[in-house]
Amino acid sequence: MLPDDSQESLRAEHEALIQFLYLAPVGLVQADLDGEIAMINPISAQLLMPLSPDGCLTNLFGALEGVAPDLRLQCAQYPREQGMVFEGLHIHLRAGEQARRAPQILSLTLLKLDGARIMAVIQDVTAEVRRERQLRQSDAWLNAILTRISDYALVSIDRAGRIVEWNESIARVTAFGEHVVGSPYSVFYPPGAMTPEHLLDRLRESDRNGWSLDEGLRLRADGSQFWGSALIAPLPDREAFGLDDPQAPAYALILRDISDKRAASEKRRQAAFCDHLTGLANRRAFFEAAELELDRAAHTPRPLALILFDADLFKNINDRYGHPAGDRVLCDLADTLRDTFRIVDTVARLGGEEFAVLLPSTGEQEALNGAERLRALVATRLVATDMGEIAYTVSAGVAVLEGAPGQPGQEGIDGLIKRADQALYLAKGRGRNCVAAWTSHLHDNEDIPKRSRNAG
Amino acid sequence: MTTATPTFDTRGLADLLDASSQEQLDALEFGVIGFDAETIVQRYNAVESQAAGLSPQRVLGEPLFTNVAPCLNNFMVAQRFEDAADEGSELDDTIDYVLTLRMRPIKVKLRLLASAGGAHRYVLVQRR
Repeated sequence: MLPDDSQESLRAEHEALIQFLYLAPVGLVQADLDGEIAMINPISAQLLMPLSPDGCLTNLFGALEGVAPDLRLQCAQYPREQGMVFEGLHIHLRAGEQARRAPQILSLTLLKLDGARIMAVIQDVTAEVRRERQLRQSDAWLNAILTRISDYALVSIDRAGRIVEWNESIARVTAFGEHVVGSPYSVFYPPGAMTPEHLLDRLRESDRNGWSLDEGLRLRADGSQFWGSALIAPLPDREAFGLDDPQAPAYALILRDISDKRAASEKRRQAAFCDHLTGLANRRAFFEAAELELDRAAHTPRPLALILFDADLFKNINDRYGHPAGDRVLCDLADTLRDTFRIVDTVARLGGEEFAVLLPSTGEQEALNGAERLRALVATRLVATDMGEIAYTVSAGVAVLEGAPGQPGQEGIDGLIKRADQALYLAKGRGRNCVAAWTSHLHDNEDIPKRSRNAG
Repeated sequence: MTTATPTFDTRGLADLLDASSQEQLDALEFGVIGFDAETIVQRYNAVESQAAGLSPQRVLGEPLFTNVAPCLNNFMVAQRFEDAADEGSELDDTIDYVLTLRMRPIKVKLRLLASAGGAHRYVLVQRR
């Protein structure tokens, strides 16, 4: 037996170590490969408890399932005996109404220790990400300028976004002739990639930030497409061209063919913004797109529609055919969604079998038509799996933000999601395989039970 | 005042705790953390000390939500006290929660108590 003072110093040391872990300003969790928690420190509980669907922290993946559905899969698919499964994965949370300063973005690092244990580090990185986003924009701008430009079209456009003059560089990059003068610059975008409102948004954003840059598919005169970047910058001396003349050049549009860089930039984008299983936008991409659209609608009011899709009785599919077959169904739904909606729409997987489509400049009837088209299409599909062909259906809830956000009853993306969710609940109640729109009868205060994850 | 030992669910418990001596707090079967309007921990009983593995001298005089129990610093607990203080209203609510006592996730019931003035506030901890 140890002498008393040595025992006492061990006890004090142990207590100091416990307190060190209690006070560590990052979340630390040790779990088994299925996510069952063995050890967990307080910051983890602070961050995870508000997310945990069943209010207990027995399983790390279970606690995060609603916001990061593919963690278990990623961990299971990690091929090595030990190593970093992922580092600093950003998880976007849905800000609850009660939460004034609640975290919105968590960073999660997952380290596989051996064949039986993982260790997770969880941090609230909301403020950090905001700062990074600013930096990233500056980076994109510098990149656009500094990258060796093989060829570019320089287009001057007026205050309404119409092309003012034709020149040789436009012909070289896009093959458009002189007749393009007077057309909006969206002629360089494929159908469905630009709305009239977005066309003006980008001009306004370049006024505010000094530039506006986007990357994506562009269109040549013969209908062929290329991967291009478009930088819009206000002309510094545009006053000299006369403020009164609405057709005077006001912006420079620099259009570059960057097809050779597409693979690299797509890969980078995918890692950060795509759902692991389906390749659709993930929650992070969805909430960034929603934030941008709300910001734009606040400046220039236009309708913004949200459709929430949920695969009907999906739990039954998983139970009956197994998770790999269930995953095939989710991928089929993802493909059908991608084919049904426009390029300008954000199609995202929010969690489990829940998908969202954000449709800029879209009113209720159009959104309902789109949702109905998707529903009807899905009802005809058969998904081939090892367990045989699976038929499935979806239900949809539609909600539309009319006018400027921030007015009473229009409380941002959370309010819009809540309404679409209520409409979805209504559609489920009508027997599923069904589309419903939010109406004022489904008032926010009405006592609609929260849809359980497994309500199907 | 009743002579029976108060339980976790006893009504008007805040007043009883206010009037209790340290020995009486230590005799209770649930954890007691009492803190003031500035969130500084003023009272800490034996059950809580034992469960958390921290002696009272490491806890008393420290701010609760940052230096003692950061796991409670979210909208489910800390903000409830803040809201009650802002509104000058009384708080008495019991919630299911998970504490990370000695780094093990432990299911507990938390009773959140605050008087209308917010001078005496308690988090009570009972294992589920």
